[in-house]
Amino acid sequence: MSRTEYMRQLESLLQNIPDTEREEALQYYNEYFNDAGPENEQNVIEALGNPAKVAENIKKDIFGNGYGENNYQRVGADSRAVITYPADPQTENGNNRQSDAPQTAQAQVVFPQKKEGMSTGMIVLIVILCILASPVILGVASAGIGVAAGLIAGWFGLIIGFGATAAALILVLIALVAVGIISMFTHPFVGMCLIGAGLICGGVGLLFLMLTVAMAGIATPAICCWIGGLFQKRGKKEA
Amino acid sequence: MLFNTGAALLDAIVLAVVAREPEGTYGYKITQEVRQVIELSESTLYPVLRRLQKDECLEVYDRECSGRTRRYYKVTSRGWAQLHLYESEWRSYSGKITGLFEGRPVNRSEA
Repeated sequence: MSRTEYMRQLESLLQNIPDTEREEALQYYNEYFNDAGPENEQNVIEALGNPAKVAENIKKDIFGNGYGENNYQRVGADSRAVITYPADPQTENGNNRQSDAPQTAQAQVVFPQKKEGMSTGMIVLIVILCILASPVILGVASAGIGVAAGLIAGWFGLIIGFGATAAALILVLIALVAVGIISMFTHPFVGMCLIGAGLICGGVGLLFLMLTVAMAGIATPAICCWIGGLFQKRGKKEA
Repeated sequence: MLFNTGAALLDAIVLAVVAREPEGTYGYKITQEVRQVIELSESTLYPVLRRLQKDECLEVYDRECSGRTRRYYKVTSRGWAQLHLYESEWRSYSGKITGLFEGRPVNRSEA
């Protein structure tokens, strides 16, 4: 394998980490190859090992090894700091070559780990609570859905109503103007009044039309985005 | 080498190696110097450097060197504090184990 092939494989293995992290990691290893010199290219590839292993180590460090396994505290603002040594017999092993040799006298420091998150007892209690409270939960949920459905129906009803009003008024405009023009030949004054009235109706109709378009075209998507944003924010807070 | 080098000890070793160069040093050189002390798979070093950087124990700067850029790592003041902490913890810890091997009774009060 050549260096370019190695780096290409590493890059493709790191596709699912953030862009900046991937770029920094690739930059590191590119510089590493550069500093080793072209004559040491194969040595470096051999020493680094399988690109999958390299990628795995990087991802483990970025995403963590599960719940707080690598939990050790750093120096805080005050000089009274605590170091607890993590228990990770499999990970962060400095020497991979040892893995095959018989491990008779392996010294490890194992400390009890604090479990983060909810314990199983809590989860069982919550499940029981949900089952017992299900009738109430269903009732409240149905009410909620009902209210939401009512609001949505009302909203669209308004839009339809405004639209119908706009259409009706514009029809009135056309009718009045038509009759008005005809009357102009016999009774000019009456004709002009009719045309005027028709125009006023038409104007109001246009306003309703604009209102309908605004509600349907702009407000509805905006409300949908806002609701979507609420769920996204909630999701991010829980993450 | 018989004993596992846990994550904290690895951090301490890398930090100590970088601390030898007050002006900072770069990845390849750090790796070579660490490997003079312990057997270390070169694929494990980058995550350690990255972690120390994220914890603000190391800072990075890039330097132009014969047409290409090279990223240098340098110990921060917070890194120095952390290193001193590691050092004293190591002395205490290794001292206790040495005492155990030598048959010395370990006093609880020495903790």
